[in-house]
Amino acid sequence: MKILLMGHPNVGKSVFFNRLTGANVTESNYPGTTVDYTKGWMKIEGEDVEIVDVPGTFSLDPKDRAEEVAVSMLHESRDAKVIAVIDASKIERGLYLAMEIIEEGYPLVIALNMRDVAEDKNITIDADRLERILGIPVVSTVAIAGEGIKELVSRLKEAKPVNVDDIIANAANASDTESAADAGGAA
Amino acid sequence: MKKKLSEMDYGEQGTVTEIEKDLQKRVAGMGIRVGKTLRMVTKQPIKGPFDVVVDEAETSLGLDMAGKITVEMTK
Repeated sequence: MKILLMGHPNVGKSVFFNRLTGANVTESNYPGTTVDYTKGWMKIEGEDVEIVDVPGTFSLDPKDRAEEVAVSMLHESRDAKVIAVIDASKIERGLYLAMEIIEEGYPLVIALNMRDVAEDKNITIDADRLERILGIPVVSTVAIAGEGIKELVSRLKEAKPVNVDDIIANAANASDTESAADAGGAA
Repeated sequence: MKKKLSEMDYGEQGTVTEIEKDLQKRVAGMGIRVGKTLRMVTKQPIKGPFDVVVDEAETSLGLDMAGKITVEMTK
């Protein structure tokens, strides 16, 4: 199995990578470019899993060489699972990228990283609710402190491709129940 | 009143009304889309960059990009 760590630049992908993998790490250039990427191995439930630290990208619509590499690495690994690492304090942009990856049909797990930074900015995110809307695992993490990494790994097996229409329907339901709850609260 | 993002002054705020087509996808991943509220926080002279806050997160844009984004001023 192959797992790609994807996300914006500076969200902690490499911290995850270092937490997940051990000493057996190769750093190389993507063929024909000077864009570096690292890959390593870890064992999940006895199975050897390859982990790739993909260069950071803002979207799947590349603007520079590093982003081109990120996108082609994703497209070359059709059978891979993706961990979308999102900066919890900048969740909107992160979800944009995550949705693009979902649209392409990859099984995805979302790591809402830097929860501590988000909390410092008074941002709290209801990961359970996001999970119900998206239909994929959403785990709050603080990668530099190692928080949430085990849960993330244990939930990798729940990653599955989801249909965007389902997400839209779930989101509509979620806002309905929320407004119903608000109305109940007001009454 | 409408302005180009590149014409906004420090501290001004507005809602994005139009983004030139060739730029739409490039800035969408940075959180800038039609309907979003932007606030200018840093404006470097001559050629930018322009730092704007969108959804409590800062983003920098070059002069050419900022000139392709139209904003309806709110304050």
